[in-house]
Amino acid sequence: MPAGRPGPAAQSARRPPPLLPLLLLCVLGAPRGGSGAHTAVISPQDPTLLIGSSLQATCSVRGDPQGPTAEGLYWTLNGRRLPPELSRILNASTLALALANLNGSRQQSGDNLVCHAQDGSILAGSCLYVGLPPEKPFNISCWSKNMKDLTCRWTPGAHGETFLHTNYSLKYKLRWYGQDNTCEEYHTVGPHSCHIPKDLALFTPYEIWVEATNRLGSARSDVLTLDILDVVTTDPPPDVHVSRVGGLEDQLSVRWVSPPALKDFLFQAKYQIRYRVEDSVDWKVVDDVSNQTSCRLAGLKPGTVYFVQVRCNPFGIYGSKKAGIWSEWSHPTAASTPRSERPGPGGGACEPRGGEPSSGPVRRELKQFLGWLKKHAYCSNLSFRLYDQWRAWMQKSHKTRNQHRTRGSCPRADAARREVLPDKL
Amino acid sequence: MSQREGSLEDFQADSSISPLPLLEAKIHQTHSLARLLTKYAEQLFQEYVQLQGDPFGRPGFSPPRPPVAGLSAPGAGHAGLPLPERLRLDAGALAALPPLLDAVRRLQAELNPRTALLRRLEEAARRARALGAALEAVLAALGAEPREPRPEPAAAAAAAAAAAAAAAGAFPAKLLGLRVCGLYRDWVSRTEADLGQLVPGGPA
Repeated sequence: MPAGRPGPAAQSARRPPPLLPLLLLCVLGAPRGGSGAHTAVISPQDPTLLIGSSLQATCSVRGDPQGPTAEGLYWTLNGRRLPPELSRILNASTLALALANLNGSRQQSGDNLVCHAQDGSILAGSCLYVGLPPEKPFNISCWSKNMKDLTCRWTPGAHGETFLHTNYSLKYKLRWYGQDNTCEEYHTVGPHSCHIPKDLALFTPYEIWVEATNRLGSARSDVLTLDILDVVTTDPPPDVHVSRVGGLEDQLSVRWVSPPALKDFLFQAKYQIRYRVEDSVDWKVVDDVSNQTSCRLAGLKPGTVYFVQVRCNPFGIYGSKKAGIWSEWSHPTAASTPRSERPGPGGGACEPRGGEPSSGPVRRELKQFLGWLKKHAYCSNLSFRLYDQWRAWMQKSHKTRNQHRTRGSCPRADAARREVLPDKL
Repeated sequence: MSQREGSLEDFQADSSISPLPLLEAKIHQTHSLARLLTKYAEQLFQEYVQLQGDPFGRPGFSPPRPPVAGLSAPGAGHAGLPLPERLRLDAGALAALPPLLDAVRRLQAELNPRTALLRRLEEAARRARALGAALEAVLAALGAEPREPRPEPAAAAAAAAAAAAAAAGAFPAKLLGLRVCGLYRDWVSRTEADLGQLVPGGPA
């Protein structure tokens, strides 16, 4: 049972057209083979019908008495001749048609029902609009780019298949006052979307809904209430740079800049990084990066090109308690890890050693180092620079080291600020 | 009778005519434009018939084809006319087409809203104007007599035809558009063929 209110056009029959100007008399009844100009009228003209309903139509010939009679007339629907048993002669000049259990229209401009003379010439036509009223649109979601605009998208009810042209209109108003406004820029991010480019208020909720209308009726979605500040997204972080970390063959350093559009607004940025090997489609995600603009990826393969992207979530704008909306990913930036100096299996310089058990994360290795340091060093301060030097030394000394193959981790800035004396190994 | 009747030389008697190389370049450009627009016009026609649904576009579909707002298809005798006369007729048809294409676009905005067809019809009107203007420039450079000015309310006549078609129903509106798109295709193609006879080295 179709939802929505029934429209005014259901099962309606338009009144016969007035006297046609010469142009259209000629269009519908041009002389053929020496005969006079003949035309006809189909009733109803351009009816709108529910799927599954029936139609009674007539074709009445006009013109001179020597013209075609009802006896020779026949019907076609979308170019296919209709069986004669669907037609019956009402009088000398009128042929009737009965169609039952109509299917949805094949094209939104209407199904072409045509009345033909015996010689096949077209006497009249009428377009049938057979479909369903729209169902309630749902699943409205909206986001604001840098608090300057609002874009919304929705899902049409019944997956949008009404067989009729259905118009969707996004409406919005301030919750406690103001008039209804209609969005004007449609299809900005897909077929069921709209973009409001300006004149949006902050700190006050909006009510947003979608109205769907076609020839058979209309339907309205539930109202979504939101504050612009709760649905803010921003541009991807600019200036993403990926570089090597000295000679370390399993690490890359990623740096970026906080999105400039929101620099004047109080918010807490969360970032996510994803990276993949050049010839892979599988991204690995680092999502414990909060409010910092650099990160180090570890556990990477030596001598390998990596693509890296970063995105930002500007949550907590002006104290908003909502989660915020992730930006798009930045353009991919590529860098390669250094190639190992040791020959790998088969002579390749970059092959990871096969058969070695995968190790724990870098953190575990750092713990081992710190443990070693406590025993052998006389100062408890540690710096990452010296830690890197130690790692480089470890590689050069050909000591067995487990490669990190699992998720990269991003050491927090506060874990890397302890000083240490260089070891004497 | 010379087989080159209507060729470029026939237009060169008047010393006030543009220098030959520039004129040849202009003719080449206009011919190339006509050739390009012939392809676009065929694409427009195919897109139009597809959106109207069967039987539009079926090989056997043959609705009545009377003149539309004073513009008829190129006649059977067109190819036998002198070349200047043919080009004048081409220019006249290209001037008559834009208001008709605009009228069809307004009708299709109701029948096929939010389709690419609407943009194509708008582009077709602009292209017809451009080709018509280029052809008029060639005719002027060749010293040919200007075509007879069309009756003033050509746009108004086209708009009235569209309004009448809309009032008569969706099917007559579809037929009107079919006729106009067909005329546009026929006249652009005709223009390309006629200009081809002016192009040096082109068919006589």
